[in-house]
Amino acid sequence: MTRILAIAALLLGAVPSAALANEGGGGLISLDKSIVIQMINFGLLLFILIKLLYKPLLAKMEERTQAIRKSLEEAQAARAEAERERAEHAAKLQASYAEAQAIRAAALKEAGEEQRRLLEAARAEATRLVESARGELAQDVRRARQDLRQEVADLATTVAERLIRKSLRDEDHRRIIEDAIGRVDRVS
Amino acid sequence: MRSHEGTARRYAKALFELARDAGEPEAVGRELEQVAAVYAGDARTHEVLTRPWIKPEDRRAVAAAIAQKVGARKLVQDFLGLVADRGRADHLPEIIGAYRLLVDAELGRARAQVRTAVAFTDGEKQQLATRLERALGKRIILEEQVDATLLGGFVAQVGSLILDGSLDGQLARMRQRLARG
Repeated sequence: MTRILAIAALLLGAVPSAALANEGGGGLISLDKSIVIQMINFGLLLFILIKLLYKPLLAKMEERTQAIRKSLEEAQAARAEAERERAEHAAKLQASYAEAQAIRAAALKEAGEEQRRLLEAARAEATRLVESARGELAQDVRRARQDLRQEVADLATTVAERLIRKSLRDEDHRRIIEDAIGRVDRVS
Repeated sequence: MRSHEGTARRYAKALFELARDAGEPEAVGRELEQVAAVYAGDARTHEVLTRPWIKPEDRRAVAAAIAQKVGARKLVQDFLGLVADRGRADHLPEIIGAYRLLVDAELGRARAQVRTAVAFTDGEKQQLATRLERALGKRIILEEQVDATLLGGFVAQVGSLILDGSLDGQLARMRQRLARG
């Protein structure tokens, strides 16, 4: 760009200098035949400027505009992408949150069920233990009663036997035999 | 002992059938018991008749000679000779028991084994036998045995029938009632 401006300045300076040199002094612009040359010169200069300076400048400007636009579009696309991703992340987060909530609710429900089941099992086991203990206790009581009855029976009969053996006399034996013989009839 | 009983029954039945044919089963039974008592009372005789290493013909001769000496009839002599010959002299008590049962059955009578705490008087024996005969419909022969371990009364057994008229039985029943509550 600097190069182009330098060339333009040189041309602008050179053309009037040439005119002045031909005229031999006077004003900056003389309204004579040199005007044509000046105009041609100007036209040429304008052409050169347009060709060498303005168009490249415009092209450069357009290029930059396009670059900026492209960058802007890319930025917009990136923003849209970011927005999409954000929305996607938000959706995923929401879904994850919902899933976590569902898992938590399921876990809570399962824990509640497990707790209820364990409680019921514990109650059943406790009931069974109580019943078992009650049964064993009743059995022990029955056994103890039976043992006691047996001991009482043994003791009573042993004492009775000793007393009888000590006190039996011959007439008692005769009477016992007679009673026993009297009971023989019942056999028939 | 069970095999003794089976063998003894076979011998007793054979003798009984011969004695019945001869019309003297009771007399044969008495003589059999007398000779068996001699065997049992003399240890040397018992040893000779029961030892397997003594020749069978010697055992037979000894048994027949003793029976002859006691005055047993020919049938009893032959029978005891056969028993000794076959090495069955130690079965004699069971043979005599089985023979008694056969004779009793033939004559329609039964034996009552009575264990009693004190000996029966004659009147008590008669009374018990009469009552048992009336109850069982058979003539009863009482075989009394005094058992000092009995507390009082008696226990009579006729075949498989047991009559417990003892104080021991009453006490046992009382013990059971008390134990049952």
